Amino acid sequence: MIAQILLSLLLCAVLLYAWIEYRRSPVVALLSSVASLAGLYFVWEPSDSTRLAEFVGIGRGVDLILYTWVGISLIIILNLHLKLRTHLELITVLARTIALANPAAVPAEMAGNSAAAPASMPLDVRARRPAAGRRSRRRGDQNA
Amino acid sequence: MEADLHPKLWVICAAYNEATTIGGVAAELRRAGHQVVVVDDGSLDHTRDIAAAAGAHVVAHPINLGQGAALQTGIDYALGRGADVLVTFDADGQHRVSDIPRLLEALRRERADFALGSRFLGQTTNLPTLRRWLLQAATIFTRLTTGLRLTDSHNGLRAFTRKGAAAIRLRQNRMAHASEILVEIAQSGLRYVEVPVTIDYTVYSLAKGQRIGDSVTILLDLFAQELYR
Repeated sequence: MIAQILLSLLLCAVLLYAWIEYRRSPVVALLSSVASLAGLYFVWEPSDSTRLAEFVGIGRGVDLILYTWVGISLIIILNLHLKLRTHLELITVLARTIALANPAAVPAEMAGNSAAAPASMPLDVRARRPAAGRRSRRRGDQNA
Repeated sequence: MEADLHPKLWVICAAYNEATTIGGVAAELRRAGHQVVVVDDGSLDHTRDIAAAAGAHVVAHPINLGQGAALQTGIDYALGRGADVLVTFDADGQHRVSDIPRLLEALRRERADFALGSRFLGQTTNLPTLRRWLLQAATIFTRLTTGLRLTDSHNGLRAFTRKGAAAIRLRQNRMAHASEILVEIAQSGLRYVEVPVTIDYTVYSLAKGQRIGDSVTILLDLFAQELYR
């Protein structure tokens, strides 16, 4: 019973994690939710897990729970990878803003053309983008 | 001169450690009367100094981010300078300046917002057979995933109208940006046209270009992007 309660708490934590992550990555959240709900079911209905394990050729029900847990771990690793990509996008926006604000060289005939200074360009460009049919962008994009 | 027809034409060159070629490329573009912005993507050599000496605008990333990121920076810069037409042009010297008027003419004639260069409608010199197959496989993949009927999906020579360029927002920093541009074009619903161009492969450009294994990275990058917002 103690093990069941501990595992249930851990799987509930995964469910909470999935709920928090849903806005950023619905696919990962969905996979995590399905895996943790399946895990919860099998923790409290071990006989069903044994039956299903035999059906799919794993052997013991406890192995099936273990495999479910491994699956959840892999999904979370995938999510960490996606978070790294999100951070890289933010770094890109930052680097671009720095680069545009301080051009390394402007030909003499264009120097002093302050009316066309590009520093505020990213926001400008996005404001003119067609909205219809566009996929949504990640959170924080508007802060670029 | 084309620059007279398009006074606000800007050519964007993304460059990373291209000190060998960027001077010649930028100078030739300037001689043709085009405004040029070279985006130095964190080069460790003298790319930015050479580009500036050739008369190009230079915008420098503080760190190396990738060609896709550099092109988006160049697009933002050119739009900020009031560009009406934008051309992306490889810094390694494999494109011909003489193809730019064809792209502009196609934009005008077809009333399109995107003119995409095609080496398979035009010509290539020294294209390795394996790379040809890989490019053709990429073209089939592009047709299946975007619905765009193209003959060359990874050609860096393209022209956008201002409206077209503003509809592009690249999030793929590295090689997958070429596929991402096509996805964005398909999603924008704007008109596109393919134009025959010539690609001159050299030992230098082949060494700098994509490798077979990169196609796997591109697929993984495109897949990963679909998993998050």
